[in-house]
Amino acid sequence: MGLLYDLSTKYKTLSIVGMAKNAGKTTALNYLIEEADDEGITLGITSTGRDGETLDLVTGTDKPKVFLYEDTIVSIPSQLYDLAEAGLEIVEMTKFGTALGDVLLCRVCESGYVQIAGPVATAETKKMCGRMFDMGTELILIDGAIDRKSIASPDTSDAIILSTGAVLSRSIKKVVEETSHVVNLYNLPVLEEGKVRDEIAKHSHENRVMLVDDKGKINKLNLTTGLGASRFIDDAINENTRYVYIPGAFTNSVIADIERDKLKQVKFILKDPTRIFINVMDWRQLVKKGFTVSVLKNIEIAAVTVNPYAPSGYSFDHGTLRDTMQEALPDIPVLDVRM
Amino acid sequence: MKQGANRRLANVKTRTETGLEYVMQNLDLNTPFGKKLLKETKPFYPGQEEELRAELDKVEGMMTFVKASERQVSKMQENFMMMKDLSYTLERSHKTALSVVELFEVKSLLLQMKDLDKICKDPDCAVPKEYILEDVEELLDCLDPRKDRLNTFYIYDDFSEKLAESRKKKHELEILVRKAQKARKEEIRKDYGIVLTPKFDVIISKSSEELEKAKQIKDLEQVTEDYMSVTFELGKSEEVFEHVKEIEDVNSEIEEEELVVREALSKRVAKYDEILRSNCDKVGALDLALAKAIYGIRHNCVKPEIVQEHIVEIENGRQLQVEDILNSKKKEYCPVSIKLADGVTCITGANMGGKTISLKLAGLVPILAQYGFFVPCTRARIGLSNYMQILIGDSQSVERGLSSFGSEMEELKEMLDNSMDRTILLIDEIASGTNPVEGLALTKSIIDYLKKKTYISLITTHFEAVTEEKDIVNMQVRGLADADFRKLDSELHIANRKERINIISRYMDYRLYTVTENREIPKDALNIAKMLGLSDEIINGAKKYIE
Repeated sequence: MGLLYDLSTKYKTLSIVGMAKNAGKTTALNYLIEEADDEGITLGITSTGRDGETLDLVTGTDKPKVFLYEDTIVSIPSQLYDLAEAGLEIVEMTKFGTALGDVLLCRVCESGYVQIAGPVATAETKKMCGRMFDMGTELILIDGAIDRKSIASPDTSDAIILSTGAVLSRSIKKVVEETSHVVNLYNLPVLEEGKVRDEIAKHSHENRVMLVDDKGKINKLNLTTGLGASRFIDDAINENTRYVYIPGAFTNSVIADIERDKLKQVKFILKDPTRIFINVMDWRQLVKKGFTVSVLKNIEIAAVTVNPYAPSGYSFDHGTLRDTMQEALPDIPVLDVRM
Repeated sequence: MKQGANRRLANVKTRTETGLEYVMQNLDLNTPFGKKLLKETKPFYPGQEEELRAELDKVEGMMTFVKASERQVSKMQENFMMMKDLSYTLERSHKTALSVVELFEVKSLLLQMKDLDKICKDPDCAVPKEYILEDVEELLDCLDPRKDRLNTFYIYDDFSEKLAESRKKKHELEILVRKAQKARKEEIRKDYGIVLTPKFDVIISKSSEELEKAKQIKDLEQVTEDYMSVTFELGKSEEVFEHVKEIEDVNSEIEEEELVVREALSKRVAKYDEILRSNCDKVGALDLALAKAIYGIRHNCVKPEIVQEHIVEIENGRQLQVEDILNSKKKEYCPVSIKLADGVTCITGANMGGKTISLKLAGLVPILAQYGFFVPCTRARIGLSNYMQILIGDSQSVERGLSSFGSEMEELKEMLDNSMDRTILLIDEIASGTNPVEGLALTKSIIDYLKKKTYISLITTHFEAVTEEKDIVNMQVRGLADADFRKLDSELHIANRKERINIISRYMDYRLYTVTENREIPKDALNIAKMLGLSDEIINGAKKYIE
């Protein structure tokens, strides 16, 4: 049995997320669909975050057209229905609107190419996945339409498949380094159950920077973002502060001005790893300084796909890229989608 | 007198201020048809008493039905929620072939109608005949040739033998192509040791020895190349090429046949256009009737008695919007009784005594009745009116750049110009925004004018002299007259600002009573100001001036 079978026993929904544009996300999706067909898994296919891309979809540039086999359940906006080459039986008209009409749930009657698109909002995607399971789907693949890591938020799916490839850099070393940085971030420790976590979770909807001291008391700062606010955060940290919760994006400007001692003394808490926008080098230096961070929710990576080809013309040797990546990420299956 | 379609019982402000719009917005309507019908609802006018009574009887029947068949009603409402307005699709069906999505929507609507029909025909469920839908089974059969009645749609093979054949042919050709290519793939593997992917392509590194071999294979076409490797794709053999060409032909055959099927189905839909529309109207009527009945039950409304003479009599009436607010704060509404006939009635009484709310109530009950709704009181007798208007201060005058007095006068003019026989005029503290001398004179003169008319005029005022006039009914708010002031004072003593208002409203008696002998208007303003915490210095100062 192949990789997809293993995944389908562990997860119900998988998002496919690209490290960058042209990292081979659609290729990865096609590959998984082929595998599912070989292994007789009934797939559901949808996508998320395709907002404001109407033009692309209509003119046909950069549309994720995928070949679907019979009995696959797929989401498609009503205006794209007639463009599908596959024969699609409409099973349900959902109330989730897109720029291209309400989303239809269809069962593939005759295999062929389909342009997939789903609801824009994460909450709606989640609801729709529920409906797809009702229709007999065993595994749902979500195409994270925008090639941005931030779409991978853990609310949508059980785990993600991370697509990476030559497009990131001309050096294999760099590609592997950046990919494993993201994988490491996504695997950040989750804040342990307990009083601190409960308190933070209770107030997290207020979207304010919060400090928690050794007695579990919360001090809410009048800041809705940590961006550019490191001096204020530094001022607010006293000898009793143990945790600092940052609601929004986590960049260098959030911690640049925090004193080294204070940095060591506290633990930073983030909503989830997609909030981090700090590159490998800076991250390593921070860790050296004694910086620690936990998340309320982390992201499980089910597999990493590599694409040794870059659209600009260069490529790596297949085996080398795959093997180097696997060496760097021993716990996660790595596969080459072009093999 | 405006007649016909443009005839208007009350303007938007009156409908809003009395609370009619509030009631309409809170109806539990679940179909686009019901919502449309509500928008088009016209009031009943004098001369249509019989029709209105029949309508109210219908509402009463519906209420009995709702109480008896709760389960079916909730099933119906669930069904309603799924319904979509397809009038545009139906219109299109006459002119053009509907798309698959549109046909799906028609089928869904038909299935929902069938479900509704099933609920309505339940022996325990006595839905009035006028709401029973016309049969659409035949059209449903057209759209559902397999008769499995699932809410799904596709141009199934069952629609056309030709289509089924073409599709089968296409399928066979596809298999032939795949077989031929698989066979060639196997040959290449045997002869050259090169393994193609399931998509029949292969990427070979330039440093690999395979490259030369691959280049020798004639039907392996080079597609792309970069400095590291070359991508090859299996070319189409003569046989495969023929098949692919055939597939393309079959594809256009399929497309054509699908269009034929869609055209035929659209024509069938067009034939049913009128029946479907009338069914939608019936669904809308049922939706609205249920919503009115449910609203009436939930808000303890009663059937108003419609009488010939022009009167408004309300026993224990409740202004629904205010009642909802109070209920949400877990407080109770103090019902108010009002009796009005042609002539002028004044409401006087304490500040915070609910005069304005009672004025609105006096509008709400008759306007609800004229629109065919049950009314929020224990008993009501209503004579129909030709015109109703409320004059009440609002924030709009400021937005329009008029002073409150200016806009009041403007509205007063509009109201007096539009009034006709059988009119209800509700006036809230007219001329309170100008100097008391002229204000009093103006109010008196307006009352003199209105006294002679066949209007029901209800006016709230603080001008005492007004009520001394002859031929005027004076209703007074009981207010704090019977309250235990010592207890009230001691409670207020320890209360904070927010609680004070609550305490006062608890001691306040909002009920109205008709003053027979000339009694002084109670002077509660200073009392209330004091209770709300205004400093003694100012209160005592004011008292001095009164003396």
